[in-house]
Amino acid sequence: MLTLYCKVYPMETNWASEHLQIIRTLMERSAVYRRALAPIMIFCGVVGIAGGGAGWILRVESPRAFVLFWAGAAAFAFAGSFLLVRRQALKDSEPFWSPPTRRIAQAMLPALFVGCGAGALLGLPQGSSEIPVWWLPSIWMGLYGCAIHAAGFFMPRGMKVFGWGYILLGGAIFWCFTFLREAPSMIRAHLLMGGAFGGLHLAYGIYLYFTEKRRNES
Amino acid sequence: MNPEPFLQLDRVIHEKGRLAIMSMLAASPELSFTELRDALEMTDGNLTSHMRTLQESGYVSVAKSYENNRPLTTCSLTTAGKKAFTSYINLLEQVVQQNRPK
Repeated sequence: MLTLYCKVYPMETNWASEHLQIIRTLMERSAVYRRALAPIMIFCGVVGIAGGGAGWILRVESPRAFVLFWAGAAAFAFAGSFLLVRRQALKDSEPFWSPPTRRIAQAMLPALFVGCGAGALLGLPQGSSEIPVWWLPSIWMGLYGCAIHAAGFFMPRGMKVFGWGYILLGGAIFWCFTFLREAPSMIRAHLLMGGAFGGLHLAYGIYLYFTEKRRNES
Repeated sequence: MNPEPFLQLDRVIHEKGRLAIMSMLAASPELSFTELRDALEMTDGNLTSHMRTLQESGYVSVAKSYENNRPLTTCSLTTAGKKAFTSYINLLEQVVQQNRPK
């Protein structure tokens, strides 16, 4: 009897380790944000590209107008994203402000807050005009990348890579413009913003559209 | 080798489906019925049956409400459920520790 028990017991301990691993995986999955991201990314991409095009056509040139214009575009993109998330939650009979949604918001907030502060330096009437406005798009990109990367801890794996894309792009642009003797026209900054924020979101949204598990539509 | 921890494992939690439900709920303050069903790929009937067993044991509480005129069922672990789950994990760890080479 003892011999049989000694043979069976190691099998049970293997089973116990496997069970612990399954529990860990399930607990991690429980904390992950599960809404379909493709529609949100595509929407943000379209808003970004439309914003870049509108800024270029309308020739929004002054630093303050540039900040206010893109703050408006960002507010519109966030509002639209929230509506899309809410619609998905309603469709699935799930709470909108769920714990994973709360975690994402909390993770993104600090970097976005700093980005708002950087914009306010140039956007407010009493704001400084000494700071080269060309730095702003790269700073926004870097901070937005940090926000996305932080949120990526509670989202599917690719989101952290997407965040790194913005961090690297922002860093590269910042580095390039630091060494320029003369800043290019602000009109080009709109194209940069549209290309970076709109183009990258749209590309990632299309990628997600074809790869994301369509859980919410089943 | 001490077989005691293995024999102490809570049989209500030990079942595969119920263990999955308990694990998901342990990592989140609350989850909706549909979130649980989709994440665990269970049928409505299967999940309801397991939830009933867990409710009867006092491990899970189920709240029914309305959000935007749609019914919303949310599930969460009770204090007894959290305690039972923690004990279950501790026992599993003891089983693993006992067989670890020293």
